[in-house]
Parts: sequence; structure tokens; C-alpha cells
Amino acid sequence: MDIATQTEIILRGAGYETWPWTGVTPAVICFENAALIGFVHVFSSADELLARWEAAQQTVLSRHSAVLRAAGAKAWNVYSVFLAEEQAPTQQRAVERIEENFVLTRKIARAGVRTQDDVERALLPLTAIKAQPILSDTDFQDRLRARLKDVSADVLTAFLAATSAEEVAKILAEKP
Amino acid sequence: MKLDFVEVCGFRGFREKVRVNFGSGFTVITGRNGVGKSTLCDAVEFALTGSIDKYAVEKAAQESLNDYLWWRGKGKPSNHYVTASFKRDDGETFAITRTRKSGADKTTAQIETALCHSMRPDDAIRQLCRTSIIRDEWIAALSLDLSETERFELVRSALGPVQGIDFSVKAKAVLKAIETAHTVRQNAYISARTQLTNALTQLSEAKEAITRAGDVSAAMQMLAAAIPDGPEELVARLAAGRAALTEGRARIGAMGEAIAQGREVLALRRAYDAPDAVQKREAARVHVEAATKSKLEAERVAADAERGLQLEERGNAIAASLAAIIEHGEKLGRHDEHCPLCAASRTNAEFAAGLALARRRMEALASGVAVARQRAIAARESLRRATAELEQAQGVYTAFESEQSRLTGREQAHIETFERHGLEFRFVRDPDGLEHHLAAERDRLINLERALLTLEVSQSISKLASLEDRIAAFRKEADAAAAQVENSEEALATAKAIDRGVRSISGEIIDERLAQISPLLNELYQRLRPHYDWRSIEYSIRGDVRRFLSLKVGDGLNPQFIFSSGQRRAAGLAFLLSVHLARAWTPWRTLLLDDPVQHIDDFRALHLIEVLAAFRLDGRQIVCAIEDPALAELLCRRLLSTSDAIGKRYEIDIGQDGATTIVSDMEIPPMPTGVLRSRSEIQSVGL
Repeated sequence: MDIATQTEIILRGAGYETWPWTGVTPAVICFENAALIGFVHVFSSADELLARWEAAQQTVLSRHSAVLRAAGAKAWNVYSVFLAEEQAPTQQRAVERIEENFVLTRKIARAGVRTQDDVERALLPLTAIKAQPILSDTDFQDRLRARLKDVSADVLTAFLAATSAEEVAKILAEKP
Repeated sequence: MKLDFVEVCGFRGFREKVRVNFGSGFTVITGRNGVGKSTLCDAVEFALTGSIDKYAVEKAAQESLNDYLWWRGKGKPSNHYVTASFKRDDGETFAITRTRKSGADKTTAQIETALCHSMRPDDAIRQLCRTSIIRDEWIAALSLDLSETERFELVRSALGPVQGIDFSVKAKAVLKAIETAHTVRQNAYISARTQLTNALTQLSEAKEAITRAGDVSAAMQMLAAAIPDGPEELVARLAAGRAALTEGRARIGAMGEAIAQGREVLALRRAYDAPDAVQKREAARVHVEAATKSKLEAERVAADAERGLQLEERGNAIAASLAAIIEHGEKLGRHDEHCPLCAASRTNAEFAAGLALARRRMEALASGVAVARQRAIAARESLRRATAELEQAQGVYTAFESEQSRLTGREQAHIETFERHGLEFRFVRDPDGLEHHLAAERDRLINLERALLTLEVSQSISKLASLEDRIAAFRKEADAAAAQVENSEEALATAKAIDRGVRSISGEIIDERLAQISPLLNELYQRLRPHYDWRSIEYSIRGDVRRFLSLKVGDGLNPQFIFSSGQRRAAGLAFLLSVHLARAWTPWRTLLLDDPVQHIDDFRALHLIEVLAAFRLDGRQIVCAIEDPALAELLCRRLLSTSDAIGKRYEIDIGQDGATTIVSDMEIPPMPTGVLRSRSEIQSVGL
């Protein structure tokens, strides 16, 4: 999976502008919306991530320092995203501990990013709420009809209509 | 719909009028502890419900929350009211003003209509407040710390009603109506069956009686003999026969009583008239007469003795006087040769002879009294003995007389028994004769009863046909009632099936709705990341009648017991925010948080702020009261502020007068857009 591309897809879907900055290799994905600015760094391994994240961050920030200085308060909302595809269970905790470092930027650091879901999960702090429960009652009557196949249609229709309970009981008593 | 403004005056710590215009994007309220940040959340709730739900203790020391709703500090506010205003997406506003004096200017129904859709839960405004205002003190209490059933109820009611609930009520009403009808039909069936079995019993009895019936003509003769002057008509004659039978039975009872009584009286009489008894009574009588005579004689002797004693006692008194005279005469001697007593001329010899004579007489008089006293004592003793003997003889004789009197009484009572029951007097002294008579009478009554039975059976033969007709009718009636019962049993089964189906589908829909919000909870949980190892949380619903909603992390672990306080709060926030977002029954899109980051570390506080930023991206309005100025600053930067949905920041404090005042009120301008790309491109070009 191309993490960089998937990141751009997801961020664009979340309303961000994204573009690559090719000043380094691999390219850094830059993103921005009305409130945030950020950079996505992709590493070849968890070890590389742990070894290079700080330098990579420094490089990008230095190159964009003028822009960030001009961004005013928005410059405080800079995210550095460090991702690596390699599954590294023993290093996962060390990788994620990077997030507890608040110097210069807010950091998102993950190893084992192998699927689109992993990318989505990593970028949750940047995106709107994804899960939207849709609660509907429309199928209640259909479900009741399907459930009560042995009950006569007339009785069910009366029950589901505005017919009073007494009237339904009368119909039932006459032809159950 | 969003929160437009809150205006308070004389409410809690606000003495004078203060109005907070909320940014339609977000509003961050900062200030130290106790300056009144929470009061602004309270004001919204109070305007909506007329109360504040956050206090667990409703009363303390005779005071309640109501005593503390309005300003109690120094000085007098110009007014006491709270106004909360809401603005719909089309710009129309809806304001509720609640004053101390006259309450709210809107009814609960008006408030519900404005803030909720038509399908809304019970007690909708309270539900709205509980799910819109998240207070620090309730985060854990209303989520992880709830019991599983309470948690299920909280989520179920927050999600709003399902259509099935209406049908559930209706299904129950149908079931109840059918049950009532079924009971009526069952009773009708039981009644019809009872009538049928009774009639069948009568028929069986009548048929059996017919087989036992005897000669009708002989029975008629018997009846005629029993009631010679009876009526001609058979039914009346049978009735008269029954009456005669009853009377005869009563008389037989009386005869039995008279026989027993007669035998007892006769035995007593025989014993009384027995020769030795007669002899004893005669001896007693003779004894009384003899004793009477003896007593009279003893009385006479005693009287004589008493009289003799009296005489002797008088003589004894004379002797005493004579002794005195003799003594004086001896002392005086003759007086001039004369007796000093009678002055007769006496010689010494004559005088001495006179004294000796007087002495002899005196001795004779004195000696008689002792004898007379002995005689009197003996006579009295004889009289006492004679009297005692008479009394004893009279006692014996009186006992015989009483016995006779009792016997006479019994005999009289026996006669009265005969009179009372109209028994023949010839049997008064003949109980054996009466017994023979009783036996004959009993035989007569048995024959009469048999005759009556025979005649009654002959009557019932004619009734058999009509009885059989009635049985046919009852059987038809019972069959119809059985069919009705069968019908209603089927109806009952169907009604139960409907009720079960409605309940089951309603439950399933609730479960499905809960399942639908499970990913939402999980997403919020993942965003808030309460725990490093357990990255996801699962809903689990169980129970049929009582429903349980449990939250599990990892391998079925209960976070309630393994999370730290801060982690529980973070997980609780995920739960409460998921409930808030899952409500489909309100157009109000404002989330109010009252100091939500207490006891949460900076890292998790940052996650919460990012979650709130995600809410903002969805166009929701955030109102957050927070103490930490740095976090307030972060919130203002991180939450989206646009020209259409601006952000605001209020700082409040306690003024010189002790009341809460707004220290600063500033709009958070939108961030510049496209700065990084345009400039970096320029920069890139520059490179």
C-alpha cells in the first residue's frame, strides 16, 4: 500500500488540501484546511522512523519557516505525521511515545500502517467524526408482518392502522 | 439549531444582568474556580427545565437547591431571571425566560416542540439536557460507573423512542381485551356445562326412581288413609302427605321422649311405693310423734324443776336474813329479859331455845336450794336431748316428704309432655304401651313415605320428556360456548404472538440501534485513547426482560474495574459523546462541556480537544467552560472558527461587588486559509 497516496485520499476526503513537497525523498505530503497545517512523513521502517523523525520534522519546518511565521495563530496548529508500514510490535510503544512530545508540532506517529483502515485510524485527530449512526423505524411494520405470517392479514392491518385496541380484539375474537 | 445567547440576572453568582452571546461555531469560557463558569451551563439547563440536575443531594439542613438558585450575596439585583435563546438554521429564534416570580414564559410542550422532533423520548427536555450538557462531576457517574441496566436505559432513552413502543402498548391492550373476553367465554362455557350436568343428574335420578317405583293404587290408598280429609288434587294431596309425614315424624320424636320420661317416672313411683319404703316413711312418722311427746314431757319436767328452784332460791334468801338475825340476837342477848326482836318476855332458856329453833329453820331453808338446782339442770338436759331427737326425726320425715314432692313434680311434667304433643293419656302410666304404639306409628309413616315416593315418581315420569328437551338445549348451548372458548383461545394465542412479536422486534430494533452506535463509540474511544493497550471498546447487550449494556475492552475486560480514574473519565467521555451524537430526535446541535478535562492528563486533554474539533468540522456548536487558560487558548486555536460560524472566548471573574462579571469578550477570527500551499509554492519556486 502506498501510504502517502492513501493519506492524501483520506485527507482530501476530510476537506484538506494536500500536495507533495518534494524537497526531500521520499516526498512529504503537506496538508492544510481552515484550521490546520501539517506534514506527513513516510518512513521505510519503524527503526528509521524512530531514528529520523526529529530530523525530518526539523527539515520540513525549516524549509517552511517563513510561511509558518506568516501564518499567525495557525502556525500553532501544525501537525507532523510520521508513518511506517513495517509491523514492529516491540517498537510500537516507542513510536507512539513520540506523540507525547509537544515541542514545535503536534505529532502523530504510527508503525504497522498497512491498510487504508490503519491510515484512517492514524489520521483520526485530523478528520471529522466518521461513524454516523442512521436510526430509522421505517421497517418496523414490514418486519412485524414478516414475523407474524400466521396471523391473518386483516387482523395485522387493523393492528397496524389507527384501529383501537378494543376493535382489534373484537376482530381477533371473530376470526383469529 | 444552536444556542444563541444566555442572559442572567440575579441568578446564582450573577447579581446584575449579564448576557453571553455564543459564537455559532464555539464559545470558550474561562475563569478561576468558583467564578461562575458552570453557572452559564446551569442557566441553559434551568431555562429549559426549571431545575439543575447536577446536584446529587436535593436537600440538606432543611434547604434545597431552590434556596440557592437566585442571588444570595450582598446587594439586591434589579431582577431575577434567566433567558436562553436558540437560533434555528433558518435564523428564527426561540427564547425561554424563566423568572423567580412567575416561572417560565413557555410551556414544556412548547419547549419540546421547538427543540425536539415529533418522535421524541419521554421527558424529552430532561433527556436533552442530560445528553447535551456534559459536566465534569457526572462524566464517570453517567457512563462507566452506571450499572449495566442503568447504562442500557440511558442509551435507550437517549436514542429516542422506536415506533414499536406505541405498538407494544397497543398489543398489550389487545391482549388484555382478549383475555377479558376469553374469561367471560370460559365462564359462560362452565355455566352451560354445569347446567347440563345438573340436568343430566336429574334425569338419571328420575330414571332410577322410576325403576324403583311401586304400586300406585296401593300408594293412593295409603295416602288417603293417612290424610282422610286431604285435598283431591294429586299435587296438593302429595304436599299434604309430605306435611303429614313431617308432623308424624315430629310426633314420633315426642313419643320417644315421652317413653323415656314415662319409664323414669314409673321407676321412681315404683321405688317410692315399695313396702320397705312405705315402712320406713311410717317409722319416721311414728318416730316424730314419739319424739314430740317426749319433748313435751321434758318441757313440763323442766318447767317444774325451774319453779322448784325459784322457790328454793327465795327460801335461801330468807335463811340468809335469819342468819343475820340469829347472829345479832346472840350478840345482843335478851333486853331487859325480853326478846330484842319481838319484845316478848323470855327466859334465857326460852331465848336460847328460840335461837336454836331459828337456827334449825335457817339450816332447813338453806339445804333445799342445792337439790333444787341439781334437779333443774337434769331437767334442762333431758329437754335438750328430747329436742334434738325430735329435730332428727323431723329431718328424716321431711326428706321423705321432699321425695314425694319431687316425684309428684316429675309426674306432672310427664303429663304436660303428653298434653304438649297431643299424646294419648292412656299411655301416661304405660310407657311400654306407648312404645308399641310408636312402633306402629313408625311403620305407618314408612309406608306413607314409600307411598309418597311412588306417587312422586309417577309424577316425574311425565317430566322426563321435558327434562330431555332441556338437556338437548343445554348441550347445544355448551357446544356453542365451547366453540367460542376455542375461538378465543386461538385469538389469545394470536394476541400473545402479536405482543411477543412487537416486543421482540422493538427489542431487536433497540439492539440494532445500539449496535449502530457501537462504531461511533469505538471511534470516539479510539480518538480519546484512554488506554495504550486496549485500543477499542465493545458494546455488549444481553438480557431479555431486564436489559444490560456492558462495555468491554481487550479480551472481555470491564474497564470500570481496570481503568484509572482519568482513564475512566476519558472512556466515559467517549460513551457520553457517542450518546450525544446518536440522538436523531433533536435539531439542537450544541454540545456544552463544563470543565471536562479535570483529572485528565495533557495528552488526553489534547485528544479531547481534537475530538471537539472533529465535532466542529461536522458543523456542531461547542460551548466549553474550562479553567486552564492554556487549554482555553488551545481550544480557541484548534476549534474551527469561520465567518459563518465564529468562535468566541469569554473570560469571567468575580468583581469588586462579589458578583460574577465578564472580564473579556472576544471573537476568535477565522484562520487564514491556503497559506502553506501558496507560500510554499512561492518558496519552492524561489528554491
